[in-house]
Amino acid sequence: MEILLLTALTGVSFGFILFLVASGLSLIFGVMGVLNLAHGALYMVGAYIGWTIAIQQEGNFVLAVLAGGVGTVIVGLVLERGFLRRIHGMLNQQVLLTFGFVYVLTNLCLWYWKALPKAPFTAPVLDWSFPIAGVTYSFARMVITAIGIALAIFLWWLQSKTRFGTIVRAGMTDKEMTEGLGINYGIVATIVFALGCFLAGIAGVLGAQLFGAHLELGMNVLVLAVVVVVVGGMGSVPGALVGGLLIGLVVSFGKVLVPGLSMFLVYLVMIVILMIRPTGILGKATTS
Amino acid sequence: MEQEFVAQTWQRQLARFAPYIVAGLVFLIIPAVLPSYAQSVMTRVLIFALFAVSLDIIFGYAGLLSLGHAAFFGVGGYANAILLTRYGFESFWIVTPIAIVIIVVVAAVFGVIALRVSRVYFLLITFALSMLLVCVANTWRGMTGGADGISFIPPPDLGLSWLSWNPASFYYFVFTSFIICFLLMRLVVNSPFGLSLQGIRESENRMRALGYNVWLHRYIAFIISALFAGVAGILFTYHNTVISPWNLGLEMSALAMLICILGGLGTLWGPLIGAVVVILIEYFSGIYMPARWPLVLGGSFIICVALIPKGIAPSLRRLQNRLLYGSVKN
Amino acid sequence: MEVLKTEGLCMSFGGVLALCKVSLRVEKGERLVIIGPNGAGKTTLFSVLDGQLKATAGQIYFFGQEITHVPGYRRAHRGISRSFQLTTLFMNLTILENTLLALQGTKQSRFQILRPITAYKHLYNKAQALLDPMELWEKRNDQVHAISYGDQRKLEIALGLASEPRLLLLDEPSTGLTSAERADVTSRIRNLGADITVIVATHDMDLAFGVAQRIIVLHHGEIVTVGTPEEIRADPKTREIYLGEEGIRHA
Repeated sequence: MEILLLTALTGVSFGFILFLVASGLSLIFGVMGVLNLAHGALYMVGAYIGWTIAIQQEGNFVLAVLAGGVGTVIVGLVLERGFLRRIHGMLNQQVLLTFGFVYVLTNLCLWYWKALPKAPFTAPVLDWSFPIAGVTYSFARMVITAIGIALAIFLWWLQSKTRFGTIVRAGMTDKEMTEGLGINYGIVATIVFALGCFLAGIAGVLGAQLFGAHLELGMNVLVLAVVVVVVGGMGSVPGALVGGLLIGLVVSFGKVLVPGLSMFLVYLVMIVILMIRPTGILGKATTS
Repeated sequence: MEQEFVAQTWQRQLARFAPYIVAGLVFLIIPAVLPSYAQSVMTRVLIFALFAVSLDIIFGYAGLLSLGHAAFFGVGGYANAILLTRYGFESFWIVTPIAIVIIVVVAAVFGVIALRVSRVYFLLITFALSMLLVCVANTWRGMTGGADGISFIPPPDLGLSWLSWNPASFYYFVFTSFIICFLLMRLVVNSPFGLSLQGIRESENRMRALGYNVWLHRYIAFIISALFAGVAGILFTYHNTVISPWNLGLEMSALAMLICILGGLGTLWGPLIGAVVVILIEYFSGIYMPARWPLVLGGSFIICVALIPKGIAPSLRRLQNRLLYGSVKN
Repeated sequence: MEVLKTEGLCMSFGGVLALCKVSLRVEKGERLVIIGPNGAGKTTLFSVLDGQLKATAGQIYFFGQEITHVPGYRRAHRGISRSFQLTTLFMNLTILENTLLALQGTKQSRFQILRPITAYKHLYNKAQALLDPMELWEKRNDQVHAISYGDQRKLEIALGLASEPRLLLLDEPSTGLTSAERADVTSRIRNLGADITVIVATHDMDLAFGVAQRIIVLHHGEIVTVGTPEEIRADPKTREIYLGEEGIRHA
């Protein structure tokens, strides 16, 4: 019973990390129509920057998180301004280009930070565990969950209660109309992209408390984020939350019940969703 | 389709046959005099060319991008390796047909699952299916050797006592296999079926209105494409002597995609050129800066999209047309 | 002989009713024109008839046999052919390739994978017979994206005729054409012969009155009036629909 609870809590905190990454990926797809396969690599960059600040520079953990977010935004903007804006709607080119960036970013990280993986790190104040119902749970994971919930609320507020959110949603449904109303959607798209990068970056540092920073993150996180976006629904932030938690729990329970095959289950879930409801659990059934 | 009959000056004759002459030189004549490490590189070129050309059928001609093509490459390779090392089969002539049957069965199953959707979702489902196989390969240690894969794969046993295997003879073995496969695929794309695939790529609505069962055409193309990818996988195991789960996954599929697009989609010979370029880049970067190979590869993806989005083939074709007709046509 | 009959055909998308209780009959060799302003449901009706869309209610009979549940691609084999309002050609292929595809759509050879298409001489000859009268044969090796819009619309019709259909649905065949080209299309449709039944959907009045033996007026997905061209010309409801929506076009 304790194992069940612990596994569930682990899955939830992992799920929130996935939510942060996947919401960015989903927003970018919904707003720009671009499938950004480099999103996992952005997470990785965030994690490495966070490590540099927190461990190498022995800085404040909060600073590390913010630096991770900002640094990732800078990298992401290079990608977007330089390349992505020219290939809207061209699926083949997007796949090729963003995949190329995964390789480039991973190798650049190797070059700068060397091959040795960085062990999981956290702020000293977060580095303790406490018992819940007979089970020892780490405080860091709780903080991740709390931050995840806070950001989910923030994103919800942004989407439904602000003018910016309305513009974004309008653009996702009908871009030409929105532009016809005089709104510069190019700027909006870039802001959304930057937001997505920021979320991926801070997810990287937060997640580094659990997984550290290493070179496989680019691919591994990408794969999981894609699964979450598919399961939850392309272009849907609530979908990213639902999908993230679902996949987080599947992986967590999978590791306990069928060790070695947790990813197998994840892909199976993805395939089943694509077969019966390709637009995802909360996705809109669009005609595109 | 039809070649206008213009006055045959020697320049025009040369321009017309230049591609075949060059191909003949590069792939038939020159390898005979190259050092053995170079012959091995050329062998690798042809194997990856076959892999990418097979992708061209479903991607370039039928217009369906698959991010899981490596699944069939890997299934062919693993089937071959398992039959040879785990089940003690020996003869190439027995193992290869069995492996091909396995590939076709897997493709038939995957096709039914994947072709329920199209475009982005097809991309994602083929990706997920191939990653599923990667998981299986990683976990089923008894059969697949797990993460270490299968090693010590013996060279093909053709039953020819006079044949001894060295880089040169192996190259010509792969060359012959490649030519046979290439010519078969060429027949397919130049056939009425091949034209139908292109029609489906251009406008599936129109094709349905004209009486075509679009799903069935795509399904057949999917299986044909998978079959030749699997053959490439079989040749790969003989050449590489090792196969591992990585050969089933995303990075392998992406490599095929790059070679295809860089060479030129929908041409069949384009990916052959793409393979030459990419494998040569891989080889030289392995010598001069091995740690930077992913950077070079990723850079190639980016440069391809930014500078040569339609690939090398159209430029070559324009060059040939200019030489043939003295003006830029089609 | 009754070629086509529909009974109570309805088509709804989500909550929007695009077609409502459309019942019509077409006789062999007839030239029926369906008119109505943009959004009246003409293209939707065609898409239901050729199987692209599945009607939410109603039945369709073709030569007395019910085809309501016959999949779209099989209807071409039964003899229904259609041209599209938005040019739906194979843009990166040549005119000849477009025509060959249209010709083999209902032939077994479309599954042939081992013989080159150049071996099918009779398809080639048929293509010539189809394209020559439209002055497209000389341009047969041009890629479709490079030819003029007028030529593309002509090719649309040619592809519709390729399968030697018994029923031809022409969706806005004259859109975007010059008046000379429109007159050309009108006379071509008139000269198609008595073996083929033609339904034309259009909001071009010259074409409608130039071709029709009978006219159906469609508005908001419902049939408003049916009649001969003279009856329709005099019909007050039709005038209201057109004068209200399109302004002064045919006073």
